[in-house]
Amino acid sequence: MSAIAALPRSARIGARLSLGWAYLFSGAMVLFSLFPVYWVLATSLKSKRDGLASPPLWIFDPTVANYLKLWTHETFRHTFLNSMIVTSAGVSLSLAIAVPAAYAIVRMKVRGRDIVGVWLILAYMLPEFLFVLPMFSLYQWTGLYDTHAGLALMYQVHVLPLSIWLLSSFFREIDPAIDEAARIEGASHWQILTRIYVPCTMPGMVATAILNAIWIWNELAIALGLTFSKAQTVTLGVTSFRGYAALDWGAMTAASIIAIIPMLLFAIVAQRHIVKGLTLGAVKG
Amino acid sequence: MPSAARRFGDASACWFILPCLLALAVTSLYPVGFGLAVSFTNWNWGSQLDYVGMANYADLLADVEFWTVMRNTIVFASAATGVEVALGFYLAVQVDKLAIRTDLLRALIMLPLMVSGIVVALMSKVMFDPFLGIVNHLLGLLGLGPSAFYGAAATAMPSVVAVDVWWQTGFVFIIMLAGLRGLPIDPIDAARVEGAGEFTIFWRIKLPMLRSLLVTVVIIRAIDTLKVFDIVFGTTVGGPGLATEVVQTFVYRTAYSYQQIGKAMATMVLFSLLILAVALSLQMLQRRGEAGR
Repeated sequence: MSAIAALPRSARIGARLSLGWAYLFSGAMVLFSLFPVYWVLATSLKSKRDGLASPPLWIFDPTVANYLKLWTHETFRHTFLNSMIVTSAGVSLSLAIAVPAAYAIVRMKVRGRDIVGVWLILAYMLPEFLFVLPMFSLYQWTGLYDTHAGLALMYQVHVLPLSIWLLSSFFREIDPAIDEAARIEGASHWQILTRIYVPCTMPGMVATAILNAIWIWNELAIALGLTFSKAQTVTLGVTSFRGYAALDWGAMTAASIIAIIPMLLFAIVAQRHIVKGLTLGAVKG
Repeated sequence: MPSAARRFGDASACWFILPCLLALAVTSLYPVGFGLAVSFTNWNWGSQLDYVGMANYADLLADVEFWTVMRNTIVFASAATGVEVALGFYLAVQVDKLAIRTDLLRALIMLPLMVSGIVVALMSKVMFDPFLGIVNHLLGLLGLGPSAFYGAAATAMPSVVAVDVWWQTGFVFIIMLAGLRGLPIDPIDAARVEGAGEFTIFWRIKLPMLRSLLVTVVIIRAIDTLKVFDIVFGTTVGGPGLATEVVQTFVYRTAYSYQQIGKAMATMVLFSLLILAVALSLQMLQRRGEAGR
């Protein structure tokens, strides 16, 4: 405000108007972002009759009937569990592979480093079905089709590049003089990585894991192409309610809310990490 | 590179990076190679497998449906990228002015990013319902509408674009806000002392410094929107008619419903070339911009 007070009168009014508009516009965009989520949550808490009322009801008797019904919905519960398994497996696998790879790229002499870099960009950038269709037949031959392991493996095509970009940028922040010193003490690269790099970049590891988890949890095309029933993920569980659109909004909206909740918890707990990861990912990618 | 790297050579580096190369080989090199080979055949997932040369490509290029799908995809990607970048950047500029802590605001605006595409799609079906949906109700209060949204060819594509805008504008916002906050303060203060207005400062100082980041965001959004699948699959499934059919839903249908895997792979190969061309040309734009400064 003091900056504004220092301005001449006409400019002062202009600055106030501009600041007022900034608040108004930001507020409107918050509303724009929140309203659909609120509305779907509200719809999921309506009885079937209230949900299909015309005009739409703003005030109604909330009921958890839709959620109770969903709880007894065997298939949906199964897909939710599958997603937990596949997400944990996919994230663990990506870190296990990407941590040493990022270390090697940043701190070791790797022949063909540039080729690996281009390969990562291509894997990240090219469309899902380019990979999924050929994998469909490979997975059928090898028995990986419709398994958690097959899905977790296939997700690496997207999460590995992102993980390596993020982890390399975190590793670069560590002073190379530290590994020099450790080498002189007789430490191996593996010890330097596990005793120094991993502990020092823990927040970065968490950010990477969270972004990967969000991506895997929300992914549809790969899961659609490579699973049938046993390993179907929650996005497919939600998709199965698509046909109900005109009939049963309660089940569809309740399933949507349940599918969102784990990621919302992440967003609340780890907002800073997510922002950092997204920003770095954009700059590196 | 520090001398440590030279002293210890390549031998252990190989073991550090090998799992990554193996995983990438299985999940990307193999499918691209195998898929490329399949695109020259008439394979139907089953026993029918004959080499047909360039027939799939020739058929596609002569197919009206293919060009409609391509046009739809490009229209969707341009519209969605354009609106998201403009809106997200403008919002970042406005939020950057605010004199309050903006953590909560940022968290609320990035909420849609946490939602999966398929859930976004189903949410929009509830809200865009032509008869009972809240959006037509609100439009009615303003004396507008009602609109058929997904139900009519003319409004289906704009509706899908609107859904993507809701979903992904937060991404542009977060990146550009971080960019604005990271700008050096000195040149801006100097200009202010010289009597430059906020408008001039934005266009002459901030925007040129953010140009490279802005192009990066455009590249990311352009590629991502070209690859659109979830929100079309979850809402219109390409309809009505072919009004919203995009490349990836078209390929899914060709491969899984019609079992024309050769044709589907040929489509994916052509489409991948398009994505590469878009990415490379945007990147050249970025390089030229940097060289020009």
